[in-house]
Amino acid sequence: MLKLANFTLVIATLGTASTLYNLEHTTRAHERSIAKATAALVDNAEAIKLLNAEWSSLTRPERIQQLAKQHLGMKQIEPDQIITTAELPQRLEAMSIISKPNGKPATIDDILKKMQ
Amino acid sequence: MAELPVIQRNRSLKGQNRIRLLGLAYVVMFCIIGAQLVRLTVLKPEEGEANRIAREVERIPRPDIVDRNGVVLATDISVASLFSDPRKIIDMEEAVELISTTLPDVNAADLRKKLSAPGRAFVWIKRQVSPEERDAVYNLGIPGVGYVNERKRVYPQGRLAAHTVGYVDVDTKGIAGIEKYLDNEGAIYTASLAEPSRPISAPAQLAMDVQVQHVLVDELSKAIVKFKAIAGGAILMDIRTGEVIALASLPDFDPNAESKNFGQHQQNQMLSGVYELGSVIKAVTFAMAFDYGTVTMTSRYDARFPLVIGNARISDFHAQRRVLTVPEIFTNSSNIGTAKMALDVGIEQHQEFLQRVGLLDRLLTEVPETAKPLLPKRWGRLVSATASFGHGFAVQPLQGLSVVTGILNDGNMVPPTFMRRSKEEADVLGKRIIKFSASKNMQELFRLNATNGTASKADVPGYRVGGKTGTAEKVVNGRYSKDKRLASFIGAFPMEEPHYAILVMLDEPKATPETYGFATSGWNAVPTAANIIARIAPLLDVAPVLTDSDKAKLEKSRKAKKG
Repeated sequence: MLKLANFTLVIATLGTASTLYNLEHTTRAHERSIAKATAALVDNAEAIKLLNAEWSSLTRPERIQQLAKQHLGMKQIEPDQIITTAELPQRLEAMSIISKPNGKPATIDDILKKMQ
Repeated sequence: MAELPVIQRNRSLKGQNRIRLLGLAYVVMFCIIGAQLVRLTVLKPEEGEANRIAREVERIPRPDIVDRNGVVLATDISVASLFSDPRKIIDMEEAVELISTTLPDVNAADLRKKLSAPGRAFVWIKRQVSPEERDAVYNLGIPGVGYVNERKRVYPQGRLAAHTVGYVDVDTKGIAGIEKYLDNEGAIYTASLAEPSRPISAPAQLAMDVQVQHVLVDELSKAIVKFKAIAGGAILMDIRTGEVIALASLPDFDPNAESKNFGQHQQNQMLSGVYELGSVIKAVTFAMAFDYGTVTMTSRYDARFPLVIGNARISDFHAQRRVLTVPEIFTNSSNIGTAKMALDVGIEQHQEFLQRVGLLDRLLTEVPETAKPLLPKRWGRLVSATASFGHGFAVQPLQGLSVVTGILNDGNMVPPTFMRRSKEEADVLGKRIIKFSASKNMQELFRLNATNGTASKADVPGYRVGGKTGTAEKVVNGRYSKDKRLASFIGAFPMEEPHYAILVMLDEPKATPETYGFATSGWNAVPTAANIIARIAPLLDVAPVLTDSDKAKLEKSRKAKKG
């Protein structure tokens, strides 16, 4: 009886010890990965801020204007270049080059001829 | 012998009891230890006192500042600063040699002197270096050399919005502009941006649109060069919400520069300067007269002779020498007519009206550097008459514009703001300053002045601009100077339902051959405003409506450009 009690207690002690050891071990591993992730998060947040600032600096209207002038040759928009959709001319029936006048589907040969 | 087993039994019984007691003690101890282990490892530990204090001390980061479309105007970035503990350096010469070759702008002699100073345990090698420089020095592997991360406030848009955004000092404390507001009056707003559980903060959003801001700065700087002005300013406001969408004051400054020693004109002249806006103030007088009902659109005033009050004479710049109707007084900018209108309203009523629109008090906005209006101390007939056309009446340009927005917004004045504001919020803040009908009359007059009045050069085809010009003589040594002028223009568009108000001001513009020798507002401030409106109207979603004459005008200007 006593032996049995002793034995179970020893086993229980060993059992709890090893469980706790394992638990602590995995906890530490988790803690390490959390710390790593937090550090990465901080680093990335920092990098995002820096990149946002850089983006803002690179898209300065002054700079874009200069680049557009230099490379695109664009001009200032005139008021009569802005129209509403209602002012657009009625769309014409699509002039299909895919079908012949008689309604039969065109061959590649026909299309090529038409393009010439 | 027979008793022996009894004794033995007794003994063993005693022993057994002891063992049982011991066992029980063991079990109890195990239970305590087990419970303690479970409490410490499995259950959540209580927050320690030190931990809690540390969290409280962790301060809220400074919010970024962004424009109405989310473009970053100010942000904190982390920069490394290199330092050294000279006691730990083994080979001083080698260290100095390596560092000064890696960082070309670090002087070797200076560094040697700094590092060899006796008893120093901490020496800055270079503050705020780039990540590349930091890595390069760190990879040299010199013992006793390290870096710390510091926060630095940067303004990616540079000079563009410098006056509105302001700047901070070395300890990132706001010194000017919105940056100062975030620390002082706006501290509650700043705190509301912070997230409760994490050390991050939402950005503070301004009403500004950087695209529009750029157009204002660009056109204004061109105008300053063209008319050889000493300074200039421009403001664009949303009439319905009171938002300041762009504010330019030139010359400006670079907020990223280390030292900010300002010249006289580099301050924010649109807020911290007071100027006599001249005839622009006539709009206020007209609105007052319409509101009190002393004039109608068909009333007439005799402007044939100068108005004499005591020994002062009030005459007209564009003298017509005839009887003028109210719209004619406005479009010819007649001082005589305006003064007579003010006198008809009455001196006390004039003061009461200026009080009502807030021109007697300092205008307070988020940007802290503001100036109080300069007004005559004692009001008499003469003062009332001259103040009616802006003489002896100096206000911050933003305040002048703000009153005009109220006059044109169906009489509903919304206080100006630099922060983003919704229409709903604006409706709550709005204050009625004049009657609806008076406002409608003013809208009509503004438009009329641009179609056939002093502001005719502001009539950008398609955008229905209206406005009032002003050319004030500057006060030099207490006297009005004849050749130093301040040209200003206040306008709005589209005039049938005013949405945006613009102010352009040029300080001491000179006459050029192109302006036929004139240096009045209609020849410099007004065309500048027109250039600005033509560029920003499409950005602000104002759809052009073209009449036949507008189309002809466009065609003509296109041909002129080609030819």
